[in-house]
Amino acid sequence: MKIKGREDAFQDYTEQVLLCEDSQEGIFTGIYEAYEKKFHSGTVRIVVGEEREYRLFAVYHKVEPDTEKALKVARTVSNLTGPEPYRQMCTALSSTDPQKGQAVFGVIELLLKDRRSAQRIMDRLADGYVRKVFELHRNVQNEIHHLKEFLRFQELENKALFARIGPYNDVVMYLMPHFADRFPQENFMIYDEGRNLLGVHPASGEWYLARGVKLDRSMLNDSDEEKKYRELFRFFCHKIAIKERKNLNLQRNMLPLRFREFMVEFGENDKNAV
Amino acid sequence: MEYISTDTMSLMDKLGILTDSAKYDVACTSSGVERHNDGKGIGNTLKGGICHSFSSDGRCISLLKILFTNECIYDCRYCINRRSNDVPRATFTPEEVCELTIGLYRRNYIEGLFLSSGIVYSPTYTMELIYRAVFLLRTKYRFQGYVHVKAIPGADPDIIGKLGFLADRMSINLEFPTAEGLKKLAPNKHRKNILTPMRMIQNGIRQNKDELVVYRNAPHFVAGGQSTQMMIGATPESDYQIIQVAESLYRKFELKRVFYSAFVNVNEDRELPALPGGPPLLREHRLYQADFLMRFYGFEAGELLDEKRPNFNVFLDPKADWAVRHLELFPVEINRADYQLLLRIPGIGVKSAQRIVKARRTAFLSFEDLKKIGVVLKRALYFITCGGKMMYRTKIEEDYIVRNLTAVKEKLPFDADGMTYRQMSLFDDSRFDEALIIKETG
Repeated sequence: MKIKGREDAFQDYTEQVLLCEDSQEGIFTGIYEAYEKKFHSGTVRIVVGEEREYRLFAVYHKVEPDTEKALKVARTVSNLTGPEPYRQMCTALSSTDPQKGQAVFGVIELLLKDRRSAQRIMDRLADGYVRKVFELHRNVQNEIHHLKEFLRFQELENKALFARIGPYNDVVMYLMPHFADRFPQENFMIYDEGRNLLGVHPASGEWYLARGVKLDRSMLNDSDEEKKYRELFRFFCHKIAIKERKNLNLQRNMLPLRFREFMVEFGENDKNAV
Repeated sequence: MEYISTDTMSLMDKLGILTDSAKYDVACTSSGVERHNDGKGIGNTLKGGICHSFSSDGRCISLLKILFTNECIYDCRYCINRRSNDVPRATFTPEEVCELTIGLYRRNYIEGLFLSSGIVYSPTYTMELIYRAVFLLRTKYRFQGYVHVKAIPGADPDIIGKLGFLADRMSINLEFPTAEGLKKLAPNKHRKNILTPMRMIQNGIRQNKDELVVYRNAPHFVAGGQSTQMMIGATPESDYQIIQVAESLYRKFELKRVFYSAFVNVNEDRELPALPGGPPLLREHRLYQADFLMRFYGFEAGELLDEKRPNFNVFLDPKADWAVRHLELFPVEINRADYQLLLRIPGIGVKSAQRIVKARRTAFLSFEDLKKIGVVLKRALYFITCGGKMMYRTKIEEDYIVRNLTAVKEKLPFDADGMTYRQMSLFDDSRFDEALIIKETG
């Protein structure tokens, strides 16, 4: 580690920790402040949410999310990279991985060092931070795709559609546009149980997110037809299988068990049904 | 025989019967078309398609795959719905098909409809029934999700042409790789009747592409392309013949997909082979591997097999098999080889090859780097160098590599008991075991 003459030598040896709020805004603010304080990825850690084990010799800074600072970072990055790499970094920030902030910081650092290849930044997989962001992005993207596949709506008494999901990553905001395009004339809701996050789409309107919503299952009553269609689909899934080719391992590889709790064709308890 | 009128039958019973009869059709893809909703209807489609569930045989459930009716005037030997079989019969009404599709689609159970049918009265009449159902679905119900329909060989070209403007994908089953097989097992079907509409749809798609260049809002004709399927193991064709047929279907008929379906013996017909080991799943798997090599890896049928070796290797996948026969091309230097050559290395797929090409622009790649970017070296290591060095001290020698490749257990999508190419021994006959059990218990 080089000690640059002008700077405070003390700072380079001490680990600096920025505690950011777990949101895109919070993390981008953290990255802004890291730059302002002239930290670099070797000596600073961007920690998202709570620090798990506080370290004796580290200096902790609490970062309050600041829209203006976050926007500056977002603008700089998207201007340099163009839409696609920027989008990948944003999806990576929806991951649950605690290292996501640090990884994105590392990529932005690399980006500013070598501005000419900024548009192809995500191709540089030999770099550890780029690889990490790439992996996080892929992981979130996969879960988004899985939920487009496996999410199930139930029709409520008032004909609105309701889906309950329990994803690892924060993906409701990525699911809403897909379903809003698919069902423009339906009232539908997607509820992330773990985060108490509700996506709402009013018929022929704009969708929005509501945080901190606690839903009770007893509040939701099925419509009269709901049971019929559920049974029809369960029966269909049973009938479509070719018994001479039975292969539960393949089924489990393609459809991980953790999704089945929310799917009508697998009962609440029998994860191997159908 | 008891005659059950379909009018009194519940929707559940009909769905059961007509799903049961449709399940042997392989295609369940919903890919190839990217379409947004116009804001007035229901549904959209994604380029990559969406699988909504997986049944207990591990196959994807993407579309509501049903027959319109399983009544049939044909008597194909292999088919469960053939005229001479005494099975329960049912027929949907167009409204029932639409309501089912919409009801399941709204709940995100399915991605769209796959509608096929047994032949009632005549091919043209049947095609009209399908047309009515799909027309209703597209207009009255404003369904904009995926629709895959079967074109019925021998139907009036007009009606097939009209249906093409409502469907995202059409398919006509070739049934068997050769005309002889078809003649023997499907006496009412003719090769010519299958290929004529296939050609017609191909021309329609081409013409439509030209129209779309001029008129952006012209209606789309079979935007997702057409596909077909062949049954594997019911007739004596070799793998070489099969992939040659597939290759010419891709080249001459511009098909999107050719599907292979391991033959399941449902009829116990004397013309059909007994398959004591179950459907030939390994053979089907090898054909799909070869199919992907032809579509995405730049291989030609003639490179994979030839007249002298007409069948695939049981122990090695087609790509590894090709590589060990062409050791003069290896080892390949990862940092310099062009993309096409990277694709030919066993163990390196399209994604890995793309990542290598991208990553090496900014860095010189070592074996460590390859591992980190997710390239699996288990099989590739016998065929590559990084900076002129092999990963371990390995020999470029056919026997040595084959021995090592087969020692790594190949990942197959089915268990070992799904293997139908087991080595035969005197005591390996599956009926032999059964006989013993019967003796013991009796």
